[in-house]
Amino acid sequence: MSGDGPANAERIVAALLDARIEIAASLPDSWLSPLIERLSGEPKIRHIRVTREDDGAGVCAGASLGGKRAVLVCQNAGLLLSANALAGYAHHHQLPFLVLAVYRGSYEDRFYYQMYKGLVTEPVLEALRIPFHVVDRIEDVAIVEDAVREASLARRPVVVLLRRAALLGDAKAS
Amino acid sequence: MRRSVAARLMRERLDPADVVVCGLGSTARAWREQNAPHPTYYASDPMGMAPALALGLALARPDRRIVLLEGDGDLAMNLGVLITIAGAAPANLRVAVFINDRYETGGGQPLPNAGRISYVTLAAGAGWPWTGEAHDEAQATRLFAALLELPQLGLVAVHVDAEESPYPPGPGPTSQAEDRALFQRRLSDER
Repeated sequence: MSGDGPANAERIVAALLDARIEIAASLPDSWLSPLIERLSGEPKIRHIRVTREDDGAGVCAGASLGGKRAVLVCQNAGLLLSANALAGYAHHHQLPFLVLAVYRGSYEDRFYYQMYKGLVTEPVLEALRIPFHVVDRIEDVAIVEDAVREASLARRPVVVLLRRAALLGDAKAS
Repeated sequence: MRRSVAARLMRERLDPADVVVCGLGSTARAWREQNAPHPTYYASDPMGMAPALALGLALARPDRRIVLLEGDGDLAMNLGVLITIAGAAPANLRVAVFINDRYETGGGQPLPNAGRISYVTLAAGAGWPWTGEAHDEAQATRLFAALLELPQLGLVAVHVDAEESPYPPGPGPTSQAEDRALFQRRLSDER
């Protein structure tokens, strides 16, 4: 993966640092590779690799419980898998954290197997009453800090869905 | 061994500064009955998430030792978390898994493959640096002490009797979110 990926990852991690994120949990997607590589080299953020996305939600909730700001980085399939965890931490525990999820399965994608995710992600988040924002371009990355503040004020996870262009710019699809 | 005995043995060996995270179900009820003075967060639902929550708390508070009291039904729901925790390897996290081979709160139904699951084998295979398995009070006494003397991550699987654990008569005076706020206030005040 090349293109603007590393530069965009740099800007996203800078936004996370501006938002005082200290703990990150991730599970990969090919479009997330530059971001996860950059996160793993960031000394100010403790990066944890998880085996399932809902584990990442649990790690972030636990970090929030302990007074630290945390982010889950995953594909939007991870949001679907984590529906119970996200709803539980939002409405039962009321613990805030940020989720950065790559938005697979929309106009930028080139794979049949991704498309169902694009169809159902936003309706599922709406049903779960989890706030979300879609970032189309890296120029809008400042919403990360706003979303972290929103999560803290609302006492629940907030999702930022990142389009391919926001992550990779003009890199060829994969 | 009754699960109340296992809970008592743990309480008697904890350091006063330890923080407890408790998985849902009969393990939580056994710990609540101890009236232990330690700050305790009852992880409640979503089921299967207590170990990840404890990991996040351990990462956020490296100045405190976090002791997770977990049930086998909760852990079996999400065995992958054993790999996640081993990978993160927080030096301040300890785990005790209460094994009764049943979904006690749900009515005592058996776990899949009940009685033939080795959680210490699963943990060791996931890369945990230290594990122990207790079948009786003497072993639990020794292994809980060893767990708490470790300088690193560790897990004890402790076998307890199958005994009914009915729902409490009412919901209690505080919601999960209110309990969360109280727990956070206490942890913050103890800094």
